Parts: sequence; structure tokens; C-alpha cells
Amino acid sequence: MWLEGSGPSTWLRESQSLMAFPLVLALHTVGLGLVVGCTSVVSLRILGGASSIPLKPLEKFFSIMWIGFAVNAVSGVMLFAKEATTVGISVVFWVKMTLIALAMWAVTRIKTKVFDDPLIDTHPIPGNVRALALASILLWAAAITAGRLLAYVGPTQPEAGIIFGSQ
Amino acid sequence: MNLAHLHLLLNHVPTVGFAVGLCLFLVALIQKDKKVQRVSLGILFAVAVLCIPAYLSGVAASEIMQDRPGISTELMAAHQDAALSAFALMELTGGLAWLALWQFRRSAQAARPVLVAIVFLSVGSFALMAQAANLGGGIRHPEIVSLGEAAAAAPVINTAWLKAASLRSFVNDTDWVWPACEAIHFIGLGLAFGVVLLLNLRMLGLMKAVAFADLHRTLPWGMLGFGVNLVTGMLFFTGVPEQYTNNAPFQWKIVCLVLLGANLIYFTSLGDPWHVDAGGDAPRSAKIMAASTILLWLGVVYFGRMLPYLGGSY
Repeated sequence: MWLEGSGPSTWLRESQSLMAFPLVLALHTVGLGLVVGCTSVVSLRILGGASSIPLKPLEKFFSIMWIGFAVNAVSGVMLFAKEATTVGISVVFWVKMTLIALAMWAVTRIKTKVFDDPLIDTHPIPGNVRALALASILLWAAAITAGRLLAYVGPTQPEAGIIFGSQ
Repeated sequence: MNLAHLHLLLNHVPTVGFAVGLCLFLVALIQKDKKVQRVSLGILFAVAVLCIPAYLSGVAASEIMQDRPGISTELMAAHQDAALSAFALMELTGGLAWLALWQFRRSAQAARPVLVAIVFLSVGSFALMAQAANLGGGIRHPEIVSLGEAAAAAPVINTAWLKAASLRSFVNDTDWVWPACEAIHFIGLGLAFGVVLLLNLRMLGLMKAVAFADLHRTLPWGMLGFGVNLVTGMLFFTGVPEQYTNNAPFQWKIVCLVLLGANLIYFTSLGDPWHVDAGGDAPRSAKIMAASTILLWLGVVYFGRMLPYLGGSY
């Protein structure tokens, strides 16, 4: 496949530099922290936790989430391109993509339904928004699990070389 | 200085520290002195934090020592099991001490059941830790072991309710345990990181409309995430200790975590951040602590992710 054979993919796969694959992987983890951290705190608040926190100011958390999402979209594409032919046919990978798409759908719905309403702190949160908040927490947890399992199941064993001590 | 040396430095902290913290706590409870209660809870929490490198460096020390002549591997194993059992109880006590500090900040008093639980748990952890220390002393100091004991060549009382060897086989012999713990470890990371961002970005000026006291409410969520990660992390460590004991990023990760313990006490208990009202600007001290907290957490995530690349783990 052209993607896997391209220059940047080859560099990411073959470079021994800590600035290559490990750094991209670390950025992917930091991005995970930004996205899942922001969305889970907002979701827990919507579900009724720490109800003394006004909702409206939490809107700014969405920009942090989008920064994390951008970091992970870029680093994710790089990690994918590195092993496109094997990861691309892995069921776990497509399950992960679906879960992320659903989670982002829930998050953007929460944004429109809650934070685009200037009077949100004056009336109770509707039940369907609470369901969205719960869904976002569960979907992100499932997406993380699928992402982690990508290292173990499916056709690729990206960390296998390290597990058995070849590095 | 190697990790065995570090262990010799740190191994008195859990016993001596808990003895001091517990005595002070009991006196403060009897005299109903809330200020001293808070100070002693802070001591118990700090000792529980330092107990982490004390335990980890002990495992490294046992690897350094195991092939030396005159060292009893049975005694070292008994010491490790006793220490692991005491460590688990001590971390639980430290977590409750933190919870009491959090409650003190919010309502000027802590729930009585929490305080009572701390008394019993810290007595229990001190007793277990003293036993572990006693066994550990026997490894290199035959002069303190009486002749009868030396002849029997066995530890007198077995207080270990957790055994490193059984945890090790639990982690390694079941296929799903390691990947499941990894997934949980990353979910815990997300939760803890979210609370860290919420509090510290507020201090740095984002979401100024919210009073810090309201955000302080979410600290137990972050502690839940950390607690989950301490348990899963210790399962990784106990499962394959040799891939962490000689691993530079792991050591840096633990350094970051120990320093974060101080930041956590600052944001949980001290007045500077607590009095930042809705719309208010945080004092410079709180901003410095907030920036360092975010940087140290990035360090924890970075070094954690680098374990396989800079070090030799998976």
C-alpha cells in the first residue's frame, strides 16, 4: 500500500530516534488525556456530580478537548500510516474508530444542547442530555480499551518485538 | 548511589513516620485540636507517598542482593511479602487521610467514621510495617537475630496477607489480566488528567467565572483515577518487577509522582487556592503550583509511555 511505503511512514517505522515513533505515541497518550479528561469531567458534572460548579464556564473546556482531538487525529494518522496494511484490516481498529465517532457525536450533541444555551444554569438539565453524558463516558472507556487491545489482538503485534526483548 | 542505597535511606520513613503521625493524630483527637489533626493527617499522607519509593526501591535492592553469599532468599521473600501487605494497608490509610483533609477544607471538620477508620488502619499498617522492617533488618544484620531464631531460620510470625509470588502468577499466568489492567490504567489516566486540567487551568486563568471551592469538589474523582492507577500500576510492577527496577523512565515517573503528592496537599488543604472566588485571579503561588502540577503530570504520562522505549519494559 502506498501509504505504508511513503517516506514519513518509513521514517516513523524505521527511525530509532526517540523523536520518532515513541514521541508520536507519547503525544497520542497526552491527547487522550486532554480529550477524555475534559469530556469525562464535563459529563460527570452533567450527571449531577459537583453540582455547585456552574455549567456555562465549562464551555471553555471544549477548546482544550479540540486541541487534544487535533493532536490525536494527527498522531493517530501517523501511527496508522506506519502500519496501514496490517492495522487497516484489523477489526479492533475499526471498532475503535466507530467508538470514537460515536463518542464525538455524543460530545458535540452535549455542546449544542447544553452549552449553546445561555440560560443553561437557570433550569435543570434534560434527561436525554444526561443519557448523552453517560454514553460519552462509556464510549470513551470502550475506545481506550479497543486502542489498548490493538497492541494484543488482530493481525498486528506492534509491541511484540519489545515484549520479547528484541530491543 | 544505587537503588539498594536509596532503600536504606527510605526504609525507616514508613515505620518512624507513621509512628510520629499516628501519635500526633491520637493526641490531637483527644484534645480536639483540629489544626494538629490536619497536620498529622498531612504527615500520614506524606509518609504513605514516600512509602511508594520505599517499597519499589526495596524490590530493586532484593535483585541486587540475591546472588550475594550469606543472603537468605527465604528471608528476603518473607520481608517482601510483609512489606507488600503493609504497603497496601498504608496506601489505603494515606488515601483516607487525604479524604479527611479534603473534608476538613470543605466543612472545617472530617466525618467521624473516616477519622475512626484512620486510627484503626494506621495502627494496623504500623504493626505490619514494623514486622516487615524487623524481617528486613535480619537480612543484613545477623547480630539482631537471636540464636534460637537463626537456628530455626524462619520468620516468627507471618503477617503477610498479600504474597508477591501469588500476585506475580495472577498477573502473568492469565492472558487477560495484563491487557485489562492496561486499559483500566489508561481510563484512570483520563479521569485523573481531567480533574488536574480543571483545577489547574482555572488557577492559570481559564474558566475564571468558577470559584476554586466549587472545583475542589471534583478532587475525589481525580483521586479515584489515581487510586485505580496505583492498584493497576502495582500489579504491573509486581508481575514483572525486573523490567521496572532498572528502568530510568520508571524512576523519573516515580519522582514526578512523589513531587505531585506535595502539589495535591497544596490544592486540597491550603488557603491560597481555596480562597480564589468566582471571577478572582489566583495568587502567584497558586499559579506556580498549577503550572508545575500540569508539567509533572505530563512528565508522568510521558515517562510512563516511554517505559518500553527509553527503558526495557513492555
